[in-house]
Amino acid sequence: MNNFKDIFTVAKFTMRDMIGRKSFRISTLIILILIVIGFNVPSFIQEINNGNSNETILISDVDHLFAEEISEVVDSSISYRKDPYQLEPTEDDLDTIKERINDDDSTSAIIIIKDGDSIHFDYYVKNTATSNTENLYATAEQIKSVYINNQIANLHLTKNQLDSIKPLVYHSVHQTDDQEISGNIGVMMILSCILFFAIYFCAFQVSSSITVEKTSKIIETLVTSTSPRSIILGKTIGIGLVGLGQMLLFVVTAVLSAYSFLDSEILNAMLDLSNFTPYLAIITLVYFILGYFVYALLYAVTGATVSKPEDIQAANTPVVILTMIGFYLAYFTLMNPTGELNIFASLLPISSPFCMPLRVMMGVASSWDVCLSILILLITCIVVAHIAIKIYSNAILNYGNQRGLKNLFKMYKEK
Amino acid sequence: MSGLILKDVSKSFAGKLVVDRISFSLDQPGVYGLLGTNGAGKTTTIRMLLGIITKDSGEITWNDAPVDRKTVNFGYLPEERGVYPKVKILDQLLYFAELKGIDKVTAGAAIQKWAKRLKVEEYLNLPAEKLSKGNQQKIQFMTAIIHNPDLIVLDEPFSGLDPVNTEILKNIIIDLVRDGKFIIMSAHQMATIEEFCSNILIMNRGKTVLQGNLDEIKSHYPANRVTLSTDQDITKYLKDFTIENEHDFHYILKIKTEKSAHKLLQKLTADKITINKFEIMKPTLNDIFIEKVGAKDE
Repeated sequence: MNNFKDIFTVAKFTMRDMIGRKSFRISTLIILILIVIGFNVPSFIQEINNGNSNETILISDVDHLFAEEISEVVDSSISYRKDPYQLEPTEDDLDTIKERINDDDSTSAIIIIKDGDSIHFDYYVKNTATSNTENLYATAEQIKSVYINNQIANLHLTKNQLDSIKPLVYHSVHQTDDQEISGNIGVMMILSCILFFAIYFCAFQVSSSITVEKTSKIIETLVTSTSPRSIILGKTIGIGLVGLGQMLLFVVTAVLSAYSFLDSEILNAMLDLSNFTPYLAIITLVYFILGYFVYALLYAVTGATVSKPEDIQAANTPVVILTMIGFYLAYFTLMNPTGELNIFASLLPISSPFCMPLRVMMGVASSWDVCLSILILLITCIVVAHIAIKIYSNAILNYGNQRGLKNLFKMYKEK
Repeated sequence: MSGLILKDVSKSFAGKLVVDRISFSLDQPGVYGLLGTNGAGKTTTIRMLLGIITKDSGEITWNDAPVDRKTVNFGYLPEERGVYPKVKILDQLLYFAELKGIDKVTAGAAIQKWAKRLKVEEYLNLPAEKLSKGNQQKIQFMTAIIHNPDLIVLDEPFSGLDPVNTEILKNIIIDLVRDGKFIIMSAHQMATIEEFCSNILIMNRGKTVLQGNLDEIKSHYPANRVTLSTDQDITKYLKDFTIENEHDFHYILKIKTEKSAHKLLQKLTADKITINKFEIMKPTLNDIFIEKVGAKDE
């Protein structure tokens, strides 16, 4: 009972210490601002483009093929173009048009000439290498459509004849694989990255926190106040909760920013959240907690073996490599979720936290797969906790060289 | 109440014996001195008796029950001072008090009491990194005693303190003994040990080289010095002695026997030299320590 109370006390103190740090608050605030700014970037770019957009396309219907319709093209194009530019019908001769283009970089022209049954679209830009011709071609396509429609209208066809010329075309995709896979690749990649960064950074904090206690010598007092088990577990829980809270804050800010600042069409195309069910949310949370615990406890061991703060990076390298292997194994097998390697990655404890939530989202993981994967991860968690507490207890008061598997094994065996 | 007993306690690290069958006991409140050179095994002994590390063999009991963190209410001031640099002093003290099972109200009252006594009240709401080393040490001392422990282990409690703060701490230690606390003190300043401890243990390379009641130990050593103060230069009388210190007609002489000191006194009196002070002295703890540890090292 006392152990639980001590774990709670250590966790509470660790949380207060973390949240109270100026560096933590400033970095959190900066990331939140960057998230909000990030989701505003498309709008900013659009605003800038709109503000600078004074592109004008001159349209010269030399042979008067369209009579009134050029104005229609101009009117209709204004209503749906996201990146507006001016279409200006002109009666000027070619030399005057060229002069205007030379005088103004943002002016271009389409000269429509009838040649027998054909129509020529001559495009004039100041410099073919540097001028943007995208809007020119789009406008030409519109003019061409208007012309075709006019020609069809002149034929006075029946509805059936018209439908046979312009049939409705339907598209559908069929897969040959029996396994049905759902989910949006964008959301899955984001989820995978969030899980990786959340687990990696939170677990890393455990290592630095333990090193700070060891190198500031406060550990001498701490180990006489409570057991190493309470210290390591309390610290892991405290940092995990703060990290989880921080990640949730980032995710909520990102989602709110996405819905507030992004165009809904783009947003829906990018982030289809229809597969993000409560079941998936629970699975993601479970994998975050277990994955975090495994990595945090490994980092606790490396943190306890460090005698000087500057050695922490070197001491953490093996665990960092392990984390990277786990993440990339999950990430690169994502493209083939029914492949054996992806199934293996979803069961392997170092990669399953980054992999299994994605398989669940894609609908390719059965309940048995999930249960087996969680069981393996849970057993790993308990084994790692046992080893980590033992090594931590023996390493935390020693200040000599304790790195390397041989030394760790010695410390594990020590009474 | 049988107090603290260590019996034949040993500990090895990687096959190297660092504490070899150490035994001592404290059966009544007081200060017990644990002495030794660096690496003698004092800190390992302290860590074993506090239950931080497990002993390989022997027995450590407190009131006849094996010592561990749960059964013994102890306080510890480690030699390696440490504080959370970024955390407010008050929060650190409350944290350690809570880990020792003290509720917030009791802890708050104790913090105020000891902060006033140690003259650190104004620093309670500052992060530790803003405090001087001496004040950080006083905060750590508070951490060791805030939960009113029965057994207190003080490892070098006075190192780094100025004379004023040393005096404050000394008075507190005296009060703690009056309140019935058992204190184990490890220090390099022999004068401090002599001032507080009636019983001592000197360790060297993990072994006990001397232990027992300090007065009894000293009684086994013959006098080895004379302190002499006169109103004129008497160096011509001191040819047969080694002068350890001399200033303003004040002399400290090394003697081989008490008889030679008496002869000197007779000579001076016969020549009508005014003698302001004449004292034949027993060896200091420092002398005994150097003799014992030095002899073992040779």
